[in-house]
Amino acid sequence: MASIDLKMAWRNVWRNPRRTMLTICAIAFACLLLVFMLSWQFGSYETMINSAVKIHTGHLQIQAEGYRDKNDIRLVVDDPAAIGRRLEALPRVDTYTFRADAFSLVSSKERTYGVLVIGIDPEREARTSTLSRSLQEGRYLEAGDADEALVGKLLAKNLRIVPGDELVLLGQGRDGSVAATVVRVKGIYASGQDDYDRSTIQIPLPYFQEVYAMGGSVHEVVVLGRTLKDVPVIKEAISEGLKSEDPESGLVVLDWMELMPGLVEAIQIDLYSGFIFYFLLIVVVAFSILNTFLMAILERKKEFGVIMAMGTTPGRLVRLLLLESSAMTLVGIFIGTLAGILVTWYYQVHGFHISGAADVLRQFGLPERIHPRLSAASILIGPAAVLIITGLTALYPALRVRRLRPVEAIAKG
Amino acid sequence: MNIVECVNVTKTYRQGKMEVRALGGVSLRIKKGGFVALAGPSGSGKTTLLNIIGGLDAADSGSVIVEGNVLDNMSQTELAQLRLRKIGFVFQSYNLIPVLSALENVEFVMLLQGVPTKERLDRARTILDDVGLEGLYDRRPAELSGGQQQRVAVARAIVSDPAIVLADEPTANLDSKTGRELLEMMGEMNEQKSVTFIFSTHDKMVMDHARRLVLIRDGLLADDQDRDP
Amino acid sequence: MYLRLGWRNIWRNPRRTTVILIAIIIGVWSMIFLGALMRGMTDQMIRNGIATLTGHIQIHQRDYRNDPAVENSIEDPAPIEAALDERLPTGAHWSARIRVTATAANARYAGGVTLVGVDPQMEARVSFIGKAIKEGRYLREDDPFGIVVGRALAEKFETGLGKKLVLMTQDTEKNIASRAFRIVGIYRAEMEATEKQFVFVTLPAAREMLKLEKGISEISILLPGHEMVAATLASLRDAPPLSGCDVESWRNLLPLMRAYLEIYDSFIFLWYLVVFIAMAFGIVNTTLMAIFERIREFGLFKSLGMKPWWIIKEVMAESFFLLLLGILIGNILSFLSVFLLMNHGIDLTRFAAGSEFFGISRVIYPSVYGRDVLLANLVVFILGLVVSLYPALKAARFKPVEALAHV
Repeated sequence: MASIDLKMAWRNVWRNPRRTMLTICAIAFACLLLVFMLSWQFGSYETMINSAVKIHTGHLQIQAEGYRDKNDIRLVVDDPAAIGRRLEALPRVDTYTFRADAFSLVSSKERTYGVLVIGIDPEREARTSTLSRSLQEGRYLEAGDADEALVGKLLAKNLRIVPGDELVLLGQGRDGSVAATVVRVKGIYASGQDDYDRSTIQIPLPYFQEVYAMGGSVHEVVVLGRTLKDVPVIKEAISEGLKSEDPESGLVVLDWMELMPGLVEAIQIDLYSGFIFYFLLIVVVAFSILNTFLMAILERKKEFGVIMAMGTTPGRLVRLLLLESSAMTLVGIFIGTLAGILVTWYYQVHGFHISGAADVLRQFGLPERIHPRLSAASILIGPAAVLIITGLTALYPALRVRRLRPVEAIAKG
Repeated sequence: MNIVECVNVTKTYRQGKMEVRALGGVSLRIKKGGFVALAGPSGSGKTTLLNIIGGLDAADSGSVIVEGNVLDNMSQTELAQLRLRKIGFVFQSYNLIPVLSALENVEFVMLLQGVPTKERLDRARTILDDVGLEGLYDRRPAELSGGQQQRVAVARAIVSDPAIVLADEPTANLDSKTGRELLEMMGEMNEQKSVTFIFSTHDKMVMDHARRLVLIRDGLLADDQDRDP
Repeated sequence: MYLRLGWRNIWRNPRRTTVILIAIIIGVWSMIFLGALMRGMTDQMIRNGIATLTGHIQIHQRDYRNDPAVENSIEDPAPIEAALDERLPTGAHWSARIRVTATAANARYAGGVTLVGVDPQMEARVSFIGKAIKEGRYLREDDPFGIVVGRALAEKFETGLGKKLVLMTQDTEKNIASRAFRIVGIYRAEMEATEKQFVFVTLPAAREMLKLEKGISEISILLPGHEMVAATLASLRDAPPLSGCDVESWRNLLPLMRAYLEIYDSFIFLWYLVVFIAMAFGIVNTTLMAIFERIREFGLFKSLGMKPWWIIKEVMAESFFLLLLGILIGNILSFLSVFLLMNHGIDLTRFAAGSEFFGISRVIYPSVYGRDVLLANLVVFILGLVVSLYPALKAARFKPVEALAHV
């Protein structure tokens, strides 16, 4: 029974090829655009998250409760090695490292600035973050290094220093004592994020612990999972472990979303505002093609009259018409989605250059050439929205047919 | 046995502010197996009567019974079901679904009735052969002559063995020779398959073929006579 | 005549005309309204940027921007200030500041800040700080140990009004200078980052701390309108006392913001094009339907000796009215929606951290740019007429005999 319905619908679609083509083009255009734009957005988000994660936060951090908001040097993780052993046992953990931070005055021969001094474990850090790879001058820290430092590029410029120069650090230790030392600049790094490059220096963790009277403690245990998707599982496992071992430890596990609420909300704003644009675009397309659906029905009143006289129920006629409009819509969606995938694929491979935007993009951790990334979501969401909205559009004229009385239809046709 | 029974049927149309009386109380009984012409000038109400008998249009008052079914208070869907089982239609023109071939047009009704594929094809081919269209199964309506199109329409109307076939001026768009051939064919079908035919016309030649001639004038029954064609 | 015919023809099928009109109206509305929202966002970004100490124009010692240290100060601002009083347009305000990076510390915390030494009265007229105090009071002329800090900084440092805050920075002799201030006021700013960054003290206090005699780091100028920037900039650069100075407009002082503006410019234009393409399919399709329905009529026209050109004009007249009506209603609706949002804006407080990340305000108010509206309307109108040429030419090419035979 369905086969002749399909046959009729398909043939009716092509009764007016020009009109049908224009309609299909409108639908295909919307699908193409949406597949490309969503792939672009999702691709950018992933890049932004990954670069932020790789530059500082990691996927997860274990910190003392309250440290994230206050950065109080006294809120420490006392026994990082124990946590390290626990992390070693989790298969989804790719790597981890320890860090300690203290705000200090840093003086070169000519300049003084307030900066964040970060104590890092050079070997572990190299596996966890992009720091070792973002070195522009000099060399990266090694295991045995003590009074040596890596300096952010913009800070180095402000301090007017080059590798080999000396810096005086002056801050406050964990116990409230004055922490002061002299370090030699070993390398200069550029993460690309201006704020970070303007306000950070890195020294070896053991040396940091000595200067700032930290003992064996650190401020952050930074964890990288194998993929972003592993984060919730790892978080769960670590929290459970911390709780079972010592409910009073005062330690918390924060994932990247808690560590960078700004980034997460920024992505939400971008996504939601994108959805508003896309929705309006689809609505314009829907009204653009509504006339096709409408005309396809109004022109054929006489034909419907005959079909109804033959004993076709109104419901069946509506089904037939919906079949017709969905055939048209589906062809458009198929072509548009396919074209969208091809276009996106091309740029996924070759990258997409936005001239003049490099500085802005860099601040969001995005490279100069953006590579959209196809995913099930980016391919399906747009076309599904188009399907739903054009489907609703087609419903209106099809339902009008219910009101059609055969005798009038025949008389008017 | 009466296959159609109309009792005091009235119908008034509203055209803008004007009220036009199409039927002013028509009572009519038609026996099974009849070959009946509803004749009258255009505007006399014959098409309206035909539509009301076929359940395409509803009477304002009065009662219509088709093979024991009272049409008066039926819903659109019930009426559609009734048309599907009991009534075949042939119109003046545009009878066929343009995107379907001759064979598919005939099949369509049986499809609605849920006749199995094999049987459907056989019956459609047989009936098209009966109306003299063998070999033209796969032509689309646009590729058929006016007479051939009307033959397909008749074939489609009778293929499911309806109780009555209603034909509204079936020959109006045909030349007289083709029209006569169509009528002769309808006459044959009436005899062979004992299907009741009711057609409206204002053509003398068509009236001559009828075995009963009902004259309608100004929405009223003017004359009713049995004839021997 | 063909205009009248065109107008009547589009109303021969009111439903069809209404449907395509709705497409055009929603399209035009989305162009203008969303354009206004985007402009509102960037406008506020600029306004924030300008109010957050940048001003329209800034004057620095030539090396300061490259190396913002205290030794790159303008040593004697008096002649410059005299030139400003003479050359600035009426309604313009300026403020001289000392601005150095410093470390703020109390018993528990330490962090980096920007120390801004200001003349309280003059600064209040130029930057946001004059209206931003939410607790305590603003600085007074004679306030050697008073300091005004942002709410976010106060929270982070777990401190409040009347509490002590020690600032440390490098003085002109390259020693580390420190001075204890008492918090007299707490301000709120659009961005949390601003609240964490800037602390305000009086000019004399800053000078004393830095061992600076008369020097200042920068002069920020606020003009009555953006449009006066170029002329004022030129006039100031000509002034002899400023010859050794770096005089720049906000556009060059905030290069990221300028890049943002350029990206938004292109984005708005692309959006216009995309929406237009979406409605173009409908315009062409609807007009085609209309002419194919009237194919006999066009055949009749032609058999009456009508020239093809006339038919083109008639069909174009239909599109003309369609576009005109759509644009008109679309504009009215856009301005209506802008008007409705004028008072309350769109509140992004739920995404405060996100808007901060992008550097946009928590509440977005639409802002209508004349050139955007013009561009949107022109894109729809001109390109709309261009695509209508296709059905018009189609109609002009109907052959009379075939057209008349067509049922």
